[in-house]
Amino acid sequence: MNMSEILTTTKALLQGVEVVTILFVVVLIASIPLGFVLTLLSRCRIAPVRWVVNAYIYVVRGTPLMLQLFFIYFGLPYLPVVGKMLVLSGFSSALVGYTLNYAAYFAEIFRGGLLAVDKGQYEAAQVLGFSKAQTIVRIVMPQMIRVALPSVTNESITLVKDTALMYAVAVPEILHYAKVAVSRTANPMAFVVAFVIYLIMNTILQLVFNWLEKKLAY
Amino acid sequence: MKLIEVTSLKKGFGNLNVLTDVNFEVEKGDVIAVIGPSGAGKSTMLRCLINLEKVDGGTITVEGESFVKDGVYASHEQIKAVTRKMGMVFQNFNLFPHLSVRRNLTIAPTAVFGKSKEESDALCESLLDKVGLRDKIDAMPSTLSGGQKQRVAIARALMLNPDIMLFDEPTSALDPQLTSEVLGVMRALAADHMTMIVVTHEMSFAREVANKILFMCDGMIVESGTPAQVFGQPKDRRTADFFHNILE
Repeated sequence: MNMSEILTTTKALLQGVEVVTILFVVVLIASIPLGFVLTLLSRCRIAPVRWVVNAYIYVVRGTPLMLQLFFIYFGLPYLPVVGKMLVLSGFSSALVGYTLNYAAYFAEIFRGGLLAVDKGQYEAAQVLGFSKAQTIVRIVMPQMIRVALPSVTNESITLVKDTALMYAVAVPEILHYAKVAVSRTANPMAFVVAFVIYLIMNTILQLVFNWLEKKLAY
Repeated sequence: MKLIEVTSLKKGFGNLNVLTDVNFEVEKGDVIAVIGPSGAGKSTMLRCLINLEKVDGGTITVEGESFVKDGVYASHEQIKAVTRKMGMVFQNFNLFPHLSVRRNLTIAPTAVFGKSKEESDALCESLLDKVGLRDKIDAMPSTLSGGQKQRVAIARALMLNPDIMLFDEPTSALDPQLTSEVLGVMRALAADHMTMIVVTHEMSFAREVANKILFMCDGMIVESGTPAQVFGQPKDRRTADFFHNILE
């Protein structure tokens, strides 16, 4: 395989980068706040709320993401009565599925971060007149994020790699273009290019999170 | 004028009765040292005063307003309004580790009580001057020694201009050589006529700075009086035993 062929292959694969990036950004922006809300609800005073949230986290973390995607993309339209309203495109299914899935993982990460915040912090905030909401936003969350950040980094790297599962719901992404190129050229070079593209994306991601960790250090 | 009145305070944790019947009064300008063996309920009593613990019975009145009466709590707003008159300093400092010293002091006045940044900054600087830490204004808490942290915590509590300061074993987490700088700040506060309730194991501080001693044992105040009375001629056997034990 010569240089110009590698270039053509790379260009083909780069078509997949856009959809991967959009999925990554949207899922991260949606699932982090959703995960935090789940964390708070899992500590709710009303027991049935806790049960529902914990059951949700239990099911999502205990089953394959691919199965969840299949369920949303292929399964939901067959539901009686409401099925017709639940016909989603492959990409929309992916957005919904990944967000719901990652929110469950983030909820567990944030729960750990919350446990790391000392009880004395809540007491100091209370005697200084903070309301419960002000305590969470101004005192607890910044400390929780600091503790949770390394795990959030880890989860984000996994998300970049998990985008390849969009292949299963027929969204053309990097892996899809790589496979097409390999079949066309009868040469594994396109897979190597795919390796490199994923590595570059994760390297950038890691640099961003390293910078964030330094910035939030105290 | 009575600043605080506590009557028949009761508090238990499960089967354990921590406070069985606590009664005392605080006059304006009093410096009260609460002493006694560990497990006597000293810290619990202090924490009840500022609503960090819920009492099971009794009445707490601050400047004529009760936030709990015969064990029944007032509305959330009333509790907040009454406890706002008090500031609290903890054994473990409880500074906010993610905020600079300046922000630790100014966050409550600005973010909670809507004071202007300029006003809060000016007060912050003058209070840090008072505790001798003006040069640490931009430091993060993790870079401070224990004694410095506790002095920042005292300044932080003073930012809200409390009428009464509560100290829960403020020097118990400190090395002996760091204790004196914190006690020095507290002496200066007492000299400024701040009303203070101090739970402490520092007998010399209790003897020299306090005008009133409360000796607690078994969830009650078994003896109270001036330092000369309590230290000099303890009436209760438990008080005498306590002094006897710590002097050995």
